[in-house]
Amino acid sequence: MTSDQEQSSGRVSRRNFLLSSAAVGTAAGLAGCSGGSDGDGGGDGGDGGSDGGDGGDSTPTPESTPTAEMDGDGGSTPASGSGGPSLLTGEGSSTVYPIANEGSSYWNGNAPPSDGEYWGSNDEGEVPGWSQVETDMHLADYFASQYGFEATGTRSSPPYRATIGLSHSGTGCEAVTNGLVDIGNSSGPITAELDWTQEKADEEVVDHVLGRDGQPVVVSSDIYEAGVTQLTGEQIRGIYQDEITNWSEVGGPDQEIFCIGRAVGSGTDTSFRLNMLGDAEAEMPGVDTRQGQNQGVAQLVRQNEGAIAYMALAFTGENVRPIAIDFEGTVYKPDKDAENTIFDSDYPLNRDLHMYTQITEDTPEGTDMREGAFMSMFLTDFGQQVFVEGNNYIPLPTADLESEAEKLPGPVPGM
Amino acid sequence: MKSDTYTARMRADIARRYARSREFVADTPSDALAVGTLGTLALTGAFVGFLTTSRFTSLAVVAFLLAVGYGWVRHQELAAKGVTLAMTVSTVLILSLITVFIFVEAWPVLADRTGRVFGVPVPGLEMFTTTQWTPAVAEPKYSMLPMIQGTVLVTVIATAVAGPLGVAAALFLSEIAPEPVREVVKPGVEILAGIPSIVYGFLGFTVLSPWASDQFDLLGQGTYLFVGIVVGLMALPTVVSVAEDAINSVPESMKSGSLALGTTDWQTMTTITVPAAFSGISAAVLLGVGRAIGETMAATVMLRNSPAIAEPLYNAFYGFETLTSLIAANYGTSSGFQQDALFVAGCILFVSVLVLSVGSQLVEERVERKLGSGE
Repeated sequence: MTSDQEQSSGRVSRRNFLLSSAAVGTAAGLAGCSGGSDGDGGGDGGDGGSDGGDGGDSTPTPESTPTAEMDGDGGSTPASGSGGPSLLTGEGSSTVYPIANEGSSYWNGNAPPSDGEYWGSNDEGEVPGWSQVETDMHLADYFASQYGFEATGTRSSPPYRATIGLSHSGTGCEAVTNGLVDIGNSSGPITAELDWTQEKADEEVVDHVLGRDGQPVVVSSDIYEAGVTQLTGEQIRGIYQDEITNWSEVGGPDQEIFCIGRAVGSGTDTSFRLNMLGDAEAEMPGVDTRQGQNQGVAQLVRQNEGAIAYMALAFTGENVRPIAIDFEGTVYKPDKDAENTIFDSDYPLNRDLHMYTQITEDTPEGTDMREGAFMSMFLTDFGQQVFVEGNNYIPLPTADLESEAEKLPGPVPGM
Repeated sequence: MKSDTYTARMRADIARRYARSREFVADTPSDALAVGTLGTLALTGAFVGFLTTSRFTSLAVVAFLLAVGYGWVRHQELAAKGVTLAMTVSTVLILSLITVFIFVEAWPVLADRTGRVFGVPVPGLEMFTTTQWTPAVAEPKYSMLPMIQGTVLVTVIATAVAGPLGVAAALFLSEIAPEPVREVVKPGVEILAGIPSIVYGFLGFTVLSPWASDQFDLLGQGTYLFVGIVVGLMALPTVVSVAEDAINSVPESMKSGSLALGTTDWQTMTTITVPAAFSGISAAVLLGVGRAIGETMAATVMLRNSPAIAEPLYNAFYGFETLTSLIAANYGTSSGFQQDALFVAGCILFVSVLVLSVGSQLVEERVERKLGSGE
């Protein structure tokens, strides 16, 4: 808790708050609440938030920021008696933002294991994936302690705070490579965002994939039970382009196909056209009805016979069954443990959601302890279910979780 | 010679107005005049500031409020006169600005889709010569015809439900029902008008539509028939309530006179009461039709939201899109010409409702002339 350290981390956070002042509502609120009650490095996050409005003239120049970052890295080694670890910062894509921001909000809340809603279990319930964890420590304490940080044992006071800013994929990639933030969120690969070669990307950053954005194709239960549990990409294209209008043409019962799409112009609709029909401007004359929201699609599939749709995974269930898809000989199954799954990044309707960390002299592995502990939270069953599936994204299949865990400098609980 | 007298009269008129305003200025206390002028200027300033998105708009508003406050305390009568005038002027101004805005926003796509009739360019014609609404393809088409068909079908069905039911219920309530029944049912019907349309729509989506899909063996759910029925039920309270008022206002003396001549109740109703209240009844039905045209939520929730022409044209068993549901389903994801096309849908709605209300005024006038003063 040297004054130098506190200064720099405060300034970093202030800058970050300026970048993202409106967007980090929850995180800033949490940080601000506890700012006065505790005196450690985390409290500076709160100060940064509260005077962020007039901090415009005191924003550090870009040259000075990497220095601050170095200090931060110094603090990120297991906490010794004198210096607390600095604030963990991230910014970037609005697509990744819900996952990362919710993660940071949970992290900063540092809920006790008796909470039941955000962490741990009690009479009223327990968090998803709790059986894998079963600890008597607070949320952030638990993950941070596995990476050598000292537990605080206090609600709302994690070993170090995390804030996530909202900008764009490209901005997030740039910010992390310039050392402005610890984590750069991007919905596209950094090679595409910054026009890098794969070699340069491998030298400069580590790519952590903590979840995917995409849609399984679903059918109504009557069709699933009649034996249509797998379609080829070509058949789905045919259905949506009105070349196939009866389930009997694809091995199902003699029942007309009720084809459900999403609102024209929505991101989901555009990516479906691009990835499934081969062209962002492809025509979709086979669509019988369009819905603006996943909930509407799910309800229609439940209520109608012979329905097919594409939608977020979180809304599938007993009567809304995801099916396996055969793309050019590879069968992607709706099963997390299969060889090829609809959760894979190769599945044409998916894209990876990246969190990049920078490789520096201090961290040749690319991921320091603070970043590692924070990210390990997302790779547990708890993190995948709450932050990834909870925000309607696609969780990682088992094989990917294992390979992602290897990129971290420490353990992932339960693996 | 003639023009001379005209000019003379004009001049006299101006002179008289001038004299009157001088008199007003002379009679009114000077502080009231000053505050009135200040308030007028401030309000005009606020309007101009609003249009130019000036940062001083709020100052002008505050100045206006201060002027009103002072006037209210010192010269209440004058201030009330001025304020009510200002409110009327702003209402008219705001409504005309909205109207202009809708048309201005719709213009780009109309200009782009100009078609030619015998060499004369007609803006927007191409939106009515195709039947496809395909905003996401390489050459987008924005046809309004599917939505117009949808709106017409829904409105016709809704009117067929709300008209006869509503008028019959109004007749019963006003002429036949015993007092206690009337006392309970009339307010009950008016309360029905307060149920939000999304509630009807949700019922339709979860109960009626799946049922219709099963019973009529339709592919998927969403039919103009049931949207029309639901919208008709929604319009029903309006129709009943307004028609009942109209029937009620037929003078008792007319009915008694008819009864005294030996007619039955039913004969009196059909030959005296209903004809006399006809203008009010038709106004009630037209109000219901207006509500049906503009109904959005129920239609959006229950329809398929994929614009297409139902074939044959009177096929009410498949429901695709109405003008209002088009806007509701696409406002969030549209941009450019697609968004302008939504404004075109708004213009069409505006024009049809305008025609409808002018039409109902004309009907009313005509009926009144025919019956003398029917009231």
